[in-house]
Amino acid sequence: MKGATKQRLETVLITILGIAVALLMIFPIIWLCFSSFKPSTELFAYPLHLFPQNPSTDSYIGVVEDGLFTYVKNSLFLAVVGTLITVVISAMCGYALAIYRKEISYVNKVFAVFLLGTLIPGEILTISQFTVVSEMGLYNNIWGCILPVVTTTTGIFMYRQHYMSIPLELVESGRLDGASEFHIFRALMLPLGSSVTITLTIFSFMWRWNDYILPLMVLSDQEKFTIQIAIKSYIGTMGVDWNSILAASILSIIPIIVIFIILQRYITGGLAATGVKG
Amino acid sequence: MKKKNPAFCHTKAFWMFVLPSLLLFGAFFLVPLGLSIWFSFTNYDGWKTMDFIGIKNYTSILTNADFYKTVTRTIIYTVCNLPFKIAIPLLLAALVTSSKLKGTTLVRTMIYIPVLFSALVAGITINWMFGQEYGLINFLLQKMGIEPLQWSLNPVLATVVISVASNWISAGYYMLMYVGGINNISKELYEAASVDGATKVQAFFRLTLPLLMPTTFIVLLLSTVNLLKEYALVQGISLGGPGSSTTYIVQYIFDQGFNQYRYGYASAAGIVISLLFIVIAMIQFKATKGGGEV
Repeated sequence: MKGATKQRLETVLITILGIAVALLMIFPIIWLCFSSFKPSTELFAYPLHLFPQNPSTDSYIGVVEDGLFTYVKNSLFLAVVGTLITVVISAMCGYALAIYRKEISYVNKVFAVFLLGTLIPGEILTISQFTVVSEMGLYNNIWGCILPVVTTTTGIFMYRQHYMSIPLELVESGRLDGASEFHIFRALMLPLGSSVTITLTIFSFMWRWNDYILPLMVLSDQEKFTIQIAIKSYIGTMGVDWNSILAASILSIIPIIVIFIILQRYITGGLAATGVKG
Repeated sequence: MKKKNPAFCHTKAFWMFVLPSLLLFGAFFLVPLGLSIWFSFTNYDGWKTMDFIGIKNYTSILTNADFYKTVTRTIIYTVCNLPFKIAIPLLLAALVTSSKLKGTTLVRTMIYIPVLFSALVAGITINWMFGQEYGLINFLLQKMGIEPLQWSLNPVLATVVISVASNWISAGYYMLMYVGGINNISKELYEAASVDGATKVQAFFRLTLPLLMPTTFIVLLLSTVNLLKEYALVQGISLGGPGSSTTYIVQYIFDQGFNQYRYGYASAAGIVISLLFIVIAMIQFKATKGGGEV
C-alpha cells in the first residue's frame, strides 16, 4: 500500500515537472502572441502584463495592409513548388541509386557525388550560388530561390536507404509482367516509399517556408518578398518596428504549426532516424 | 524485330531517374564550388573587375586580424554552447521517456514546437523577451529588486541571448534523437540493474549515458556544424553587434562579399572555412560508416 502511494506521488511529480518544462519551452511564443495584441502604448509601458489590457488587432491590420498576404502567397509558392520538386526528384534519384546498384557498376560513384553536398554547408557557397542565379537571369525571381535548394542529399539518402530494404525480386516481377522501368517506379515502388515521402514533405515544406539567406539575396522587389524577408524588413537601421514584427512573426508560424500538428503522427517514428541537416 | 537489350534499357532508365537531381546539383552546388575556388584567386567585385591575383586573397586573410578574431569568436561561441546542446536535450529525453509521465505526446509536441520556427523568428522571439527597456526578463529582474541587464549593449550578454535562442530552437530536435536512442536500449538491462539494487540515478549514469554515446556523438557533430554557421538567428537579435562582438564567420563572409563587394576575398575566406567543415564531415562519415547509422 505504501509502495502504491509512493508510485502515485512520483507520477504526479514527474507529470508536473513535464508540464512545467513544456510550458517553459512554449512560453516565449505565448508571450510573443499576447504582445502582438497589445497597442504600442501598452507594449512600451511599465508595468508589463501577460494579458493585453486593451486588446487590439491594429498590428495585424497594419501588416495585412503592408501586403502580408502577398508575402504569404510567395512563401507558399516557394514551399509548395520547392517541396514538390524535391520529393519527385529525390524519390527518383534515391530509387535508382538503390535498385540499380547490383546491375550497374558505377551507381555508388554517382551516389558519392551527391555526398559531396554534405561536406560543405550551403551558406559558404551562397556568394557563388548567387552569381549562378544571376547569370541564369533568375535574379529577383522566386525560381532563383527554388532551383538552388531543391536537391537535398538528405532526401536522396532517405529514399535510397528505404528502397535498399525492399527486395529486388519485386522489381523483377514487375519486369516479367512487361512493365516499363518508369511504370514500375511510379505504380509499384513509389507507393511503397510513402513513409519517406511524408517525412520529406514535412521537412522540405518547413525548410522552404523558413528559408532566409537565398531569398534575402535574390529577391529585390518588395512584392516578391517571402514572409521571412518581409519580417526582416521590419528590422531597420533606425530601430525595430515591433508592432509589425510581432504580428508578422505570429502569422508566419501558424501554417507550419498547423501542418506539424496534423501530420506529426506520421513522422515522430521516422524523425529520430533522419537526424540529418536542419 | 530486334529485341531491346535489357541492360542498355536499365542503364538508360538509371540515368533518366538520376538526371534531374544531378543537373540541379551540378548547377547549384558543383558549379558554385568551382566558381568559389576560381573567385578566390581573383579580385572579383561581383560586377566588372575580375583579374587573376594568385594567392593574394589567401595571404591577406591569413594576416587579417579581423578574420582571426571572427574565427576565434565563432569557435568560442560554439565550444561554450556544446555542453548545453547535449545536456538539455538529454535531460528532456530522460523526462519524456519516463514511464511515470502522463500526457507524453503533448509534452513532447510542446517541446518540439520551437524547432519548427525559422532561425530569424526564433531570434526575434527570444530577443523580445530580453529587450533592454521593456523586455520581460528585465521587468522580472527589477521586480526582484535586481538591476536590469544591458542585454544588447554588453557583448557577453548579447552572446548569452543568442545562445538561449540557439538552444531553444534545437533542443526539441536533439531530444527526439535521444528518445530514439533511449528506446533502443533493452528494458531488461534496467530490470537487471534494479534487481542488483541500482537506483534510478545510478542506472541513468551507469547505463543510459554510456549506451547513448553514439547518439551523443551525432548530436555533438550536428551541433558543432550548426553553431559554426550560425547566422539567421543573429539577424533576429543583434545583427552582429554590439560592435562586431556577435559577428560569426558566415556573416563575416557575407559582409565582405555582398556589402564590401569583395567577392574574391569572401570566396577565399569561404574556402578556408570549408576546410574546417570538411574535417567535421569526414569524422561524421567515418563514424557513421558512410552516413548509414544516423
